[in-house]
Amino acid sequence: MSFVTFSDNNITGKPAVAVVFREIFPILPNQLREIVSGLPEDILSQVEEIRLRQGKPLILGLNGNDMFLTPDGETTGLPELGVVVTDHDLSKSVQLISGSSIYAFEEEIKNGFITVRGGHRVGISGKVVVDRGKVRTIKYISGINMRIAREIPGVADKVMPYLIDTVSKEFCHTIIISPPRCGKTTLARDIIRQLSNGIPDLSFKGCTVGVVDERSEIAGCFNGVPQKDVGIRTDVLDSCPKAEGMMMLIRAMAPQVIAADEIGRQEDALALEEALNAGIKVLTTAHGSSPEEILKRPVLKEIMEKGFFQRMIILGRSNGVGTIEKIINGSELSLLRGECCD
Amino acid sequence: MIKTIGICMTLAACGTMGMTWAGVYEKRPRHLIAMDSALQLLETEIIYGATPLSEAMVHVSQCCDPEISDLFKKTALELGKMEGVTAGEAWNSALRAFQEESVLNDSDILILKRFGTSLGVSDREDQAKHLELARSQLKLAAARAEAAAKKNSTVFRYMGFLGGLLLILILY
Repeated sequence: MSFVTFSDNNITGKPAVAVVFREIFPILPNQLREIVSGLPEDILSQVEEIRLRQGKPLILGLNGNDMFLTPDGETTGLPELGVVVTDHDLSKSVQLISGSSIYAFEEEIKNGFITVRGGHRVGISGKVVVDRGKVRTIKYISGINMRIAREIPGVADKVMPYLIDTVSKEFCHTIIISPPRCGKTTLARDIIRQLSNGIPDLSFKGCTVGVVDERSEIAGCFNGVPQKDVGIRTDVLDSCPKAEGMMMLIRAMAPQVIAADEIGRQEDALALEEALNAGIKVLTTAHGSSPEEILKRPVLKEIMEKGFFQRMIILGRSNGVGTIEKIINGSELSLLRGECCD
Repeated sequence: MIKTIGICMTLAACGTMGMTWAGVYEKRPRHLIAMDSALQLLETEIIYGATPLSEAMVHVSQCCDPEISDLFKKTALELGKMEGVTAGEAWNSALRAFQEESVLNDSDILILKRFGTSLGVSDREDQAKHLELARSQLKLAAARAEAAAKKNSTVFRYMGFLGGLLLILILY
């Protein structure tokens, strides 16, 4: 049975406090920065996200729990004691996030987020201005979510032996299935890094990896340069639509492995097939908690039924954020599946 | 002998004073025109290049008239510190320092100050409108300053010397 469960393998990680200081504090408005910077290091190191909503208390996301901050910089579970975010804080925050250059981030704002230095993603909500059925911009920004990107080198160590074919020493087509905020992208990033740099322990030589980073999450590019370590043989197409990006990589960059986050649209499936036909290995992720759930989604179902993926990694929270619940051999899942690297 | 030296010195001092005043009048339109050109450079950076402001300010400071480049250099410096300063605040603090050494008068500075409040806070279309407004105001101010310079610089120049002569007549 090609079924593995790592009950003790947990991929939670803590961003270095110094990193948070350097990269997140400059984008917080002064008043809030003073309060947040007064937090003890052990709390700062657990912060996953900082949420600002106009007229509502500031919320810190810590390991899946919400915490509020009193004006004295103490954490509390009571929202009414929390320091309230004003419209001035929000407008200042937006300016700081964009380096006072909102005009330079029009495309990003259309997509609802801006990636800041360090690869952290800042989501934006507010009044959406639509022009001929398409989002033109967001004005009256009323909500900001700063998601602190984690980079945990070595987090994929335990899964790598299952993803490399023991005979041909090739990477297997892999999909990571996980509910949101369970470390999907963190795991994918480390797999990419290891594939790109090579894994001496598995006698796997590094291979060229092409990453289509539509939401700037995997490599966390800032001005086109990856802020996260994605390996020495990795090319990144930042903010590029997946399907188009995969085709561009196939045509121009000759990758041996293509990685793309969160597939789900019809054109993504077509591009995946194209990659397969070109003999390129694929690493991707999908939202969901089990293979059964994935099969309910038409496009993913189609891909699964074609027996495309050789490995499925299921992430969950049963043992904390990023627990690797299962690694499934693709052939176990689908009867249509032929031979597979075991 | 001492009297002659005194007369010469008085005349030279008053003459220089007049020349300096006249110089201020002549410099102001020149600086306003230079400022307008600098904003045009900034417009190109913002509208066509979508260059982040701190970078755009550095580019402008390198290309514009050296006599006004400090304003852009200081703004870029403040923004680059990443200490939670917005473009408007950086521009204003640079403008305060610039005003002390500049020949621009209060109403000119006010145009730049108003422009600063909109700097970097909106999309390209909106930025273009604010830049256009500031530039048209600067052009108008430059035209007026030019006319004032023509009228006043000669007057001040003569007034310096004549005032000097008058002083000499009274004193000696």
